[in-house]
Amino acid sequence: MRLFTFQRAASVDEAIASGAGAAFLAGGTNLVDLMKIEVLNPERVLDVSRLDLAKIELREGALQIGALASNTAVAEHGDVRRAAPGLSEALLSGASPQLRNAATVGGNLLQRTRCAYYRDLGTRCNKREAGSGCDALDGWTRMHAILGVSDKCIAAHPSDMCVALYALDATVRVRGPAGEREIPIGELHLLPGDHPEREFSLQPAELITGVRVPIDALAARSRYVKVRDRQSYAFALASCAAAVQVEGGAVQAARFALGGVGTKPWRVPEAERSMQGRPATRETFARAAEIALRGATPRRDNAFKVELAKRTAVRGLMLSAGALS
Amino acid sequence: MDLPNRPCLLAFCRRAPRFEEAFRAELRALGAPLFAFAPGSGTVFGADDEPRDIGPHPELWRIHGAGRAALTVVLLDEKQRVRLRRDAPEAEGTLLAAVREAGRAVCAAPRGIGRRELLLNSLAAALGAAVLQACASARPVDDRKAVSGAPALLEVSLVVNGQRRRLQVEPRLVLLDALRENLGLTGAKKGCDMGQCGACTVIVDGQRVNSCLKLVAQLEGARVTTIEGLVQGGQLHPMQEAFLREDAFQCGYCTPGQILSAIALLQEGKPRDDDEIREGMSGNLCRCGAYPNIVAAIRGVAGRA
Ligand SMILES: Cc1cc2nc3c(=O)[nH]c(=O)nc-3n(C[C@H](O)[C@H](O)[C@H](O)COP(=O)(O)OP(=O)(O)OC[C@H]3O[C@@H](n4cnc5c(N)ncnc54)[C@H](O)[C@@H]3O)c2cc1C
Ligand code: FES
Ligand code: FES
Repeated sequence: MRLFTFQRAASVDEAIASGAGAAFLAGGTNLVDLMKIEVLNPERVLDVSRLDLAKIELREGALQIGALASNTAVAEHGDVRRAAPGLSEALLSGASPQLRNAATVGGNLLQRTRCAYYRDLGTRCNKREAGSGCDALDGWTRMHAILGVSDKCIAAHPSDMCVALYALDATVRVRGPAGEREIPIGELHLLPGDHPEREFSLQPAELITGVRVPIDALAARSRYVKVRDRQSYAFALASCAAAVQVEGGAVQAARFALGGVGTKPWRVPEAERSMQGRPATRETFARAAEIALRGATPRRDNAFKVELAKRTAVRGLMLSAGALS
Repeated sequence: MDLPNRPCLLAFCRRAPRFEEAFRAELRALGAPLFAFAPGSGTVFGADDEPRDIGPHPELWRIHGAGRAALTVVLLDEKQRVRLRRDAPEAEGTLLAAVREAGRAVCAAPRGIGRRELLLNSLAAALGAAVLQACASARPVDDRKAVSGAPALLEVSLVVNGQRRRLQVEPRLVLLDALRENLGLTGAKKGCDMGQCGACTVIVDGQRVNSCLKLVAQLEGARVTTIEGLVQGGQLHPMQEAFLREDAFQCGYCTPGQILSAIALLQEGKPRDDDEIREGMSGNLCRCGAYPNIVAAIRGVAGRA
């Protein structure tokens, strides 16, 4: 790890005032990891972990979750389990108990890809070093994305929590030198396009202060399904956060997002609309999954993900609809 | 100053040491150069040449937080990463002893091991031992006074196994290295050093975490429990006894992490069945595959609690 200067922010205002050019440090499970392997080399690290931003509460029809709430605290919170069980399940499917204790919501939102080429300084990576090339393109791609890819980057988005937050239509609260704003979660993560090194829509010194998850009947039905190479403690090959509301056997409303397959968590409104008013059956869900995977561009080692993602989506939707136990 | 692209030793001494021929002979055997600095001067002792004057280089004193102790030794690897940094109360004898021991270890080592890592490891071990010995025989000093105005280093105070420990650390020091290198608590193990294996698991403020990914700088005031802190009044912790009883290890490398993780697991809530134990212990890998017995040990303690 390279040397850096370390400061602790005493308040949110102080963090923002001295945040330009610094890396915010929360749980450190991603930042410290990447600093150790010298993929991220901030000259200044600003510790925000003691800021008063760890509250979790159900208020004004929404779960208000502070950016510094730990992944464990959110997953175990009674209101979260009741009002948005899919979020709790997604968090509990990620990492390990030790990591979830340290990891925070803000850090999870901004965690970097686990692309092996991004993490290996001996290879070329456009995300790590803009314009240097991408060795993943004709490399080993089992863990890479099939949706949202570009000819510059095919790195998959690693987060489970974010997949659930996409399906739940969450918004991210941030504060920066220019004041406070809310970002719909779908706009926080950028597609790689020609600039894979640009990953988030945040401005310099903008601090994430929390997440707002609107709570309704649909959110209360949310579920999370994750498929991986081993039963626990592994990143997703494919995952699905789904929320389906059924009345009289027909789908009244449905939302779902896919993980492990996109360069960001993947939601397709057209696929969701295709279920509206249809019988809550495997056929309906399979058609939606089919639409969601349209335009997938698999490579040699991850072609299996197209079918796997469809089946994972169907399973998530069935589970939420109560058609599976 | 350009440091070489191979392992080397830096020594910052309060008074310029006089290195005799005997010492230089030891250095030759070792094959790693020594950069020795004293206020206002700097000398490099290469493996093959005569000592060469290189000037004082105050920036290196700053970078390595030297100047407070009579001797600060820093071991750099070929990428100039700090592998070991130690303060000692006495310079010449300590350095001499360390270099001699390391030289012996390097010469005595079997062939086939990567020489560079071997050299680094031997040097680190010998330096550590020599410095410890020097510290043991020195008068205690009030290091709080000495530290005032220290550059680069941060002062952090932790409560480790119930004892308050004050540390001066580089911002980049992680808890695992602080425990093992600075506090001599080698129970927490370094497996992957990247959050993937759980060998480094300790309990911080009541929660199990991977100490390899936690910067000490963040932990001011934190309470840390390591495997060394589990024995109470000469009695092993029930989880330690259960691991012994169930033979829940082979090589034992993952065991301290497993035990701390298991204790935390039961504090978090009672696992209802073996599957919940396995899921709750998923962050602790065991290369020897002692899993069935680990699960049995935890089941036993959970059942009695
Ligand atoms: C071995 C391993 C396995 C894992 N497995 C999974 C998995 O299966 N699923 C999964 O989803 N995740 C997994 N993770 C990733 C884990 O979830 C993230 O590392 C964690 O959520 C990051 O949170 P943190 O608080 O530690 O972030 P940090 O490491 O502190 O920060 C991460 C990034 O976020 C920025 N940041 C943090 N807080 C803020 C804020 N408030 N405002 C602005 N910027 C901020 C930091 O500057 C940094 O860029 C795994 C990690 C490891 C090491
Ligand atoms: S050494 Fe920390 S998790 Fe492996
Ligand atoms: S006992 Fe050897 S790694 Fe677990």
